[in-house]
Amino acid sequence: MAAPSVARPRYLPRFSGLAWRRARWGYVFIAPWIIGFLAFTAFPMVATFAFTFTNINLAQAEPLRFVGLDNYKTLLSDHQTWESLGVTLKFAALSLPVAVGLPFLVALMLHSRHLRGPGGFRVLFFLPYVVPFVAGVFIWNGMLNPDSGWVNGVLEAIGISKPPAWLEDPTWIYPGLVIMGIWGIGAGMIVYLAGLKGIPTDLYEAAKIDGAGAWASLRNITIPMISPVIFYTIVLAVVEVLQYFLVPLVLKNGTGEPGGSTLFFNLYLYKNFFTFQNMSYGATLAWLLFAITLVITLILFGTARRWVYYAGEAR
Amino acid sequence: MERSLGRLAVLISVLALLVGACSATSSSSAPASQAAASEAASPAASGGESASPSPVITPLPNNASQAKPGDVVVRWYCCLGTGDAPEQVTVEQKVADDFNTANPGIHLQFEGFVYAAARDALSVQLGSGNGPDLVGPLGIGGANAFHGQWLDLQPLIDKNKFDMTQFPASTVHLYNAGGDGQVGIPYAVYPSVLFYKAGAFKEAGLKEPPHTWNSTYTMPDGSKVPWDWDTVRKIALMLTVDKNGKDATESGFDPDNIVQWGIEPQRDDMRQTGAYWKAGAFAAADGKTVQMPDAWVASWHWFYDAIWKDHISTTGPQFLNTDFNPGGYPFFTGKVAMSTNYLWSLYGLKDAAATFTDWNMAATPSYQGQTTAAFNADTFRILKGSKHPDETFKVLTYLLGNQDLLKLYGGMPAVESKQDAFLQGLQSDYKQQIDWNVAKQGIAFADVPNFESYTPAYNQTLDLINTFYTKWQATSGLDIDKEVADMKSQMQAIWDKGGN
Repeated sequence: MAAPSVARPRYLPRFSGLAWRRARWGYVFIAPWIIGFLAFTAFPMVATFAFTFTNINLAQAEPLRFVGLDNYKTLLSDHQTWESLGVTLKFAALSLPVAVGLPFLVALMLHSRHLRGPGGFRVLFFLPYVVPFVAGVFIWNGMLNPDSGWVNGVLEAIGISKPPAWLEDPTWIYPGLVIMGIWGIGAGMIVYLAGLKGIPTDLYEAAKIDGAGAWASLRNITIPMISPVIFYTIVLAVVEVLQYFLVPLVLKNGTGEPGGSTLFFNLYLYKNFFTFQNMSYGATLAWLLFAITLVITLILFGTARRWVYYAGEAR
Repeated sequence: MERSLGRLAVLISVLALLVGACSATSSSSAPASQAAASEAASPAASGGESASPSPVITPLPNNASQAKPGDVVVRWYCCLGTGDAPEQVTVEQKVADDFNTANPGIHLQFEGFVYAAARDALSVQLGSGNGPDLVGPLGIGGANAFHGQWLDLQPLIDKNKFDMTQFPASTVHLYNAGGDGQVGIPYAVYPSVLFYKAGAFKEAGLKEPPHTWNSTYTMPDGSKVPWDWDTVRKIALMLTVDKNGKDATESGFDPDNIVQWGIEPQRDDMRQTGAYWKAGAFAAADGKTVQMPDAWVASWHWFYDAIWKDHISTTGPQFLNTDFNPGGYPFFTGKVAMSTNYLWSLYGLKDAAATFTDWNMAATPSYQGQTTAAFNADTFRILKGSKHPDETFKVLTYLLGNQDLLKLYGGMPAVESKQDAFLQGLQSDYKQQIDWNVAKQGIAFADVPNFESYTPAYNQTLDLINTFYTKWQATSGLDIDKEVADMKSQMQAIWDKGGN
């Protein structure tokens, strides 16, 4: 006897009355978020995009009007835009490996079975993260002071007669900023640590039986298994570094000193919005940043299928 | 199809991720400024920092009372100048509470922001259509940063028969010179003086600087010379001392180990550095062409050489080093012999009053036979967007007449008849007898036009000159003439382009 044939939907199931009633409650529960997203994120985004085609500014000495692509033309000819983008990219090249790699290395060390009292170290590494970042910037400003900072004091004590003027020299400012950023690795470290703890130990045991050493285990088990976390960290780090802003604002009062080396793109954007009160051009810069971030993120997502391993996903 | 849907899902995910990362993550129920601040305080996951442009624009905490139902709420925005210190906020809040008690039906709501963030926070409020009613105390420059936003008070002055004759005509004119009407009522004035450390002069065997304006100085050889910037340079060299006790005129003087500097010119603004030499403006008569007043250029040369050639003034990094200079101006440390500054800088001297007891006031030096002292003036202004101008004007006149507030801000009353009593009141904070008359007489030497007068693209111009000025203070070996020419051309380009 042939089994009765059941009509199966090819793609998405049509909701039956019961399913719809159930789904409806789902929509009700996510409605606040959707409404909030539309009202406070999507609509402002659309509005800022519209601003880019107007002459809107705070004083509005001239009547508000449609200016077409004028702001985009200004963007192309504004050397400060491209210089600030260059500053951001230069800093990104230096800080991204540290922001992604260092928390991973620290997490590896904290995950080691040879480490005594890992909980204490976890707290120590995470502790700076809970210090308000502005306070942290001021503390680091003091520590990296060329005359009175103890960083240079230590360098002088070990025989470096002319240690760098970390935050005053256009060459040393980026390493200085990266050093300051290291203080915030606690959160990344915790995420990595969670990923490491999720790797089944039997994989390591099997590898050990097969004669794999520590390096082989790291390369062939740890990194592939933790690759989604690495990917997540890279994506966030890229987004964050492109929007790097607070430290140069607090440290140099937004002047871009020394020699324009801290005039990051986001700071320039901010100054256009709030200091120069040029909302339309600020919005144009914001959209440029969004576009750049989107492209880089899409590229990252494009490469992910080659190196990110999801254990629960059919390949 | 499934593949396309998958791609679409990924794209949406990416967009959502980006939008989430690019937008504020704080509670939407909080005011925008608070949300921004809470975000600023949380570093990012990967060792970076808070990403979004969200400076620390959180309102200062206060224990404000709540408005009663039906009250007209008048929002008082502070602190684009002074007023943000915790002890000041306490008094400001009390002033607001006293007003509320005495004026049922109107609720004065004090909203303070730290000085460094106040300008941006006001931009946010105005840009979002949520501006306050009243702003102050703020100076001429702070007001020009929001050019075009201020209400012409003349109709309200006329309607309320407010007596403007109690103020000197020159200070009234200060607030109606921009073509926008009478946008302010004189309140507090801050003349400049030369603060000096008497002990340093005594130690160097020098006569103290003159307390009389536009006068002469007696050099160690007994010669009488004009009290001008050349003289100041000469004696500043003798007053600058290294750790070995050598002054800057002696061979073997060690500029890397200075323990006492000769002079600290007020350096908050390069226009003001120029204004201590001669009044001027960047805008030529047509209001569109950039000019660099000769006297200002001469002052910048003098200042640059004072730092890098003569070593009689601190470098930018030394000035900003909070270990050395925690109070904002190095004169407060007692390690500077002379300093031009405003009367409002008494805040730092008051804090140091227990240990720094030998300072006094002298006249500022002249340039080419003419004495000019940069001048600051604060008041409260009403915004054009205020929905309650009548009630706000009532608040304005209340604040203008409040003596506690005036003393709190260290402002000399614009009303001349009240100035002596005000200055005598200040004496009680200090052990030594200060010659307060120097400050009072200094008003007559105020820079006209004021250095903070409006220029096209005011905020961008300010940003440009600050960039140059910071560079000059941090970089030796610059060709200042070339720098000035470069600044001029960049400024002209900004003005030609328009904007704020």
